[in-house]
Amino acid sequence: MRIKLSDLPFGATAVVREIQTSAHDLNCLGLRIGKELKMVTKQPIKGPVVVILGELEIAMGLETAEQIVVETGVDR
Amino acid sequence: MTEGRADLPEGGTTVLMLGNPNVGKSALFNRMTGANAVVSNYPGTTVDFTRGTFIEGGHTYTIVDVPGTYSLEPRDAAEEVAVRMLRDCPDATVMIVLDATKIDRGLYITLEVMERGMPCIVAVNMMDAAHEKKITVDIAALQRLLGVPVVSTTATSGEGVRTLAEQIRKAQVANLGGIAKRLRGEEPRTESLRACGGCGGC
Repeated sequence: MRIKLSDLPFGATAVVREIQTSAHDLNCLGLRIGKELKMVTKQPIKGPVVVILGELEIAMGLETAEQIVVETGVDR
Repeated sequence: MTEGRADLPEGGTTVLMLGNPNVGKSALFNRMTGANAVVSNYPGTTVDFTRGTFIEGGHTYTIVDVPGTYSLEPRDAAEEVAVRMLRDCPDATVMIVLDATKIDRGLYITLEVMERGMPCIVAVNMMDAAHEKKITVDIAALQRLLGVPVVSTTATSGEGVRTLAEQIRKAQVANLGGIAKRLRGEEPRTESLRACGGCGGC
């Protein structure tokens, strides 16, 4: 199922399928299409979102997370 | 050691130390120059550049510790410094520092630097942290793929730093077309390699 990264529940894993914002800004941080990530922190009141990709922990604004499409339930 | 926006370079070969934030550039810089640049365990410690010198094989190198950056399209003041340094020192050699535990992220800026056509050498730093996390890095394969010298280092213990200093003179301009071909398996992996595995004989 494809959802916005901002809708990914805490602790859930998903695979990045689409980046609708500046792909360069996220790519250079290590977040690329096809990468598996895990939601580790979601802050209330439209606070930042933190995901973990392997050894990498990436924090981003909620607006950025809303523009990343991820797929859940992918068997790896 | 001098700090600030002093005119560059001072003589010899200028080596720009570049890489993502928090990969140990300043620690490596201190190891190589005997300087005392501020080192801490969080990103963004170096916001201006620091310069030092070292002599290896009778040749003087002016080494510049550049603030960490994720890409060459700057998004903050520290990243702008890094990009400006590259632009202002077109004849410099670039030492790209990677975190051995986060190689894939470091390779993004590695390729961006290589696109600029400057001679490069890659230091895979924090090897001790990689060992602890049971991460192995195939240094020889990375060197064959990139076609520039790749040296593994642990700045905190000094491991590999001597080799890194010796290999700087072998830094070379990467052939991006060759890298793409090798990735597709179209070219024998050893053919375009001019930087050898480090016998020191050339």
